[in-house]
Amino acid sequence: MTLKMNGTGTRRSLRITGLVALGLASVLAVSACTDNSVSTSSTGAADKTLVIDKSFDLKTSDPARAFELTGSIVDKALYETVLDFEGSDVTKVVPGIASFEENADNTVLTLTMTGTHTFSDGSPVTADDIVFSLQRVQGIAGNPSFLLDGVTVAKVDDKTVTLTSATSNPALPFILPNPSLGIVNSKVLQANGGTTGADDAAEAFLNKTSAGSGPYQLESYDVTTKVAFALNPKYAGDKPAYSRVVLENVEGPTQKINVQAGSTQVALDLNADQVQGMDSSVTIKKDASPYLIYSWYNQDPAVAGGVTNNADFVKAVRQGIDYDKLLSIAGEGSTQPGGMVPSQFLGAITSDPANVFDLDKAKASLAASGYAGQPVTFSYPNDITVNGLQMQTLAEAIQSQLKDVGITLTLAPSPISTFLDAFRAGTLQSGIMYWGPDYPDPADYLVFNPGESLGLRAGWAAGMSPDVTAAASAASAASGDDARKAAYETWQNTANASGPFIPVIQPGQYAVTTSEITSLDLNPVWTVNIADIK
Amino acid sequence: MPVTLRRGPHLGPLARYILIRFGISILLIFGVTLVTFTLANLVPADPAQAALGERAASDPAIVAAFREAQGLDKPVVTQYLLYIAHLFQGNLGTSTQSHNPVSIDLSVAFPATAELALFVIVFSIIIGVGLGTWAAIRQNRFSDQLFRVLSLVGISIPTFWLALAAFYVFFYQLHWAPGTGRLSASLQAPPKVTGMYTIDALVAGQYTTFFNALSHLVLPGLVLILYTVGLLVRFSRSAVLDVLNQEYVLAARAKGLSPARVVFRYVLRGASLPILTIVGLAFGSLLSGTVLTEQVFGWGGIGQYAYKSATTLDLPAVMGVGLVVGVVYILTNFIIDVVYGVIDPRVRVQ
Repeated sequence: MTLKMNGTGTRRSLRITGLVALGLASVLAVSACTDNSVSTSSTGAADKTLVIDKSFDLKTSDPARAFELTGSIVDKALYETVLDFEGSDVTKVVPGIASFEENADNTVLTLTMTGTHTFSDGSPVTADDIVFSLQRVQGIAGNPSFLLDGVTVAKVDDKTVTLTSATSNPALPFILPNPSLGIVNSKVLQANGGTTGADDAAEAFLNKTSAGSGPYQLESYDVTTKVAFALNPKYAGDKPAYSRVVLENVEGPTQKINVQAGSTQVALDLNADQVQGMDSSVTIKKDASPYLIYSWYNQDPAVAGGVTNNADFVKAVRQGIDYDKLLSIAGEGSTQPGGMVPSQFLGAITSDPANVFDLDKAKASLAASGYAGQPVTFSYPNDITVNGLQMQTLAEAIQSQLKDVGITLTLAPSPISTFLDAFRAGTLQSGIMYWGPDYPDPADYLVFNPGESLGLRAGWAAGMSPDVTAAASAASAASGDDARKAAYETWQNTANASGPFIPVIQPGQYAVTTSEITSLDLNPVWTVNIADIK
Repeated sequence: MPVTLRRGPHLGPLARYILIRFGISILLIFGVTLVTFTLANLVPADPAQAALGERAASDPAIVAAFREAQGLDKPVVTQYLLYIAHLFQGNLGTSTQSHNPVSIDLSVAFPATAELALFVIVFSIIIGVGLGTWAAIRQNRFSDQLFRVLSLVGISIPTFWLALAAFYVFFYQLHWAPGTGRLSASLQAPPKVTGMYTIDALVAGQYTTFFNALSHLVLPGLVLILYTVGLLVRFSRSAVLDVLNQEYVLAARAKGLSPARVVFRYVLRGASLPILTIVGLAFGSLLSGTVLTEQVFGWGGIGQYAYKSATTLDLPAVMGVGLVVGVVYILTNFIIDVVYGVIDPRVRVQ
């Protein structure tokens, strides 16, 4: 049945629907007239809001608990550290709240407070604050507590603090600029549940109110959407260019649109594909990421299946990977590391003959290994990207390249949350994974040794490669930049010759900014120091 | 003298019906807690490994402390009983990702989603039911064909694609819509009353903030409205068509009532049950969070929270979201059941 629509009521119904649609259009029109961009003032940049887009991995703004990329950006803005790096150079430590001296065997580091540093509440930063902050990191036993493993923190006088290590610790000056070791106002924290033990209850307080002497103080904090910063008027350093900063949680594709539209000035999570074809209104800063993607081949006979613990097999893989092709997949800015130490750090090697693509040599090595075509399970997390580079893409490329050598890889992707269980248990035959720097020193990479935590994940038990262990011990004991550089180079060359780890690629890292931004440094530890953005 | 026996309070059929539906809803909520807890514990992964960093996960003492803090060192049955006991105290556990009580996280995320869902459902009902009814009474004419095609388009276009496309066109190209988030970066959130920025801004008398929050609702709202309207047009049209051929409608027409009176008094009332059902389901779905739309627009609602919790194996948060979503659906269905009972006496008698 069809009703003849000549009644006024049904017309009214249609009219209402039309009015609603018109209402929606009106709201859209209103939205077009509202403030879509960041606030701008005629008085210049100092009165403007800086908006930074970041895909959040944020958990907390409490420096003693935070150990994620976003957390480092946040804490770098809120807290000063005893030592510091300048710009993107992480090979040279500069004074922060204090200057430092080390004894000859690198077991005692003496911090001497310099200048006047003041917390946002106006109280001065004291040696007690330094001791409390560093002991709190140790006592909480959170993610960053390992940074000060085996270190005893003690106050000497009102201006001096010593950090005594149980064994030689030449990496300590490079560890101390980490934002997780930011100095907090001990009195304020203690009044709000802060202690230097596992019973510390100040995290909730610090997620509402910062208690630092950094260039900014916390204006608002929402772990899923945004963190806003306001200037810390008591900051001892140079006044930042922006009086207010908003760090927003935005995914890569949306970041691209935002930065091109000018509603955000900095986009930090664009990958090589996304930065292609961007218009001329933006500036693209590119560099090699400090994240290192490596491949491993399990040495445990119970896991290796008689294949991956064969030295000639691993050699065939090293020679069978076409690194240049992987670099072209990863895009501009990516680089092939010579060893397990990323290109930015002391002791990095630019190339190693062991890790050069040569199909004929790879086939010869494979023949020598006695490999009879058994499928090798190749595991990787398939739900993550490293600087926008998908592990899935990389795994498929390696599978294809090694097929030309005669190696059959069976891809075994899994979500990172399930992958980690098996990976950390050392039960995966082979695969690819990544390692981000905990601190910018080659000592951070000694875990890739026989019997060490990462070594065990590849079934590389203590005593399996005495030459590598000896080289690692020498590197660990070396003192002074030149000696350390040489020792770490030797260790990596030795590990490349016989170890189960193959350094594959450092992806490109990109920061895209609007033309308004004239200065921004990418730093391997804290990504960006927002106070330095001009 | 006749003896009058005192009886207990007599419950009418509607009250009994509501009580029974309420009892069933409570049982269902317990069922939801059991299902979410069981599923969370069936995940073949270790929450400690997922939550802790590389170094911390290698330290047995830190892993043990994490397990103890999260109650993971106890037998599964004990964990469930503790979970239920804590629920009665309003404690949903602590998120391993945000380190906040899950209830606090949800109290921020849920109003964000609810604000968007209310915006969408109000416009969707008016437009969707209106166009669906119009299409039905103009069956097989041009307007009917047009609305059917449009509704098919609305349902068929992937929401994440539409969200990105709408964002690109209306924000980047035309500058008609604001960027991501619920407010422009230059503005601060109004003092929290409901957690819905538009309402809170009005309560605080912050009209600039109100219009800004409203403008941020439009684009994600439109993306979701297109889908919801498409759904409602199809179901409304179908429901109205079913009723149009009923004898009581023909009788009403035969009595000489105006078409408008027939539609509003007889047709729509008769078609209201299936329409209400689909409205309830659509609203429940919107309140449960629209993950992809929230991701694109950086909305910070329950969908985004659920996604982050699931990918990081944040089990307390996953169970919290599961419980909230379950309760939302159960509550929505309960309300619809009650409305059924009010509208259709046959339902409450059954």
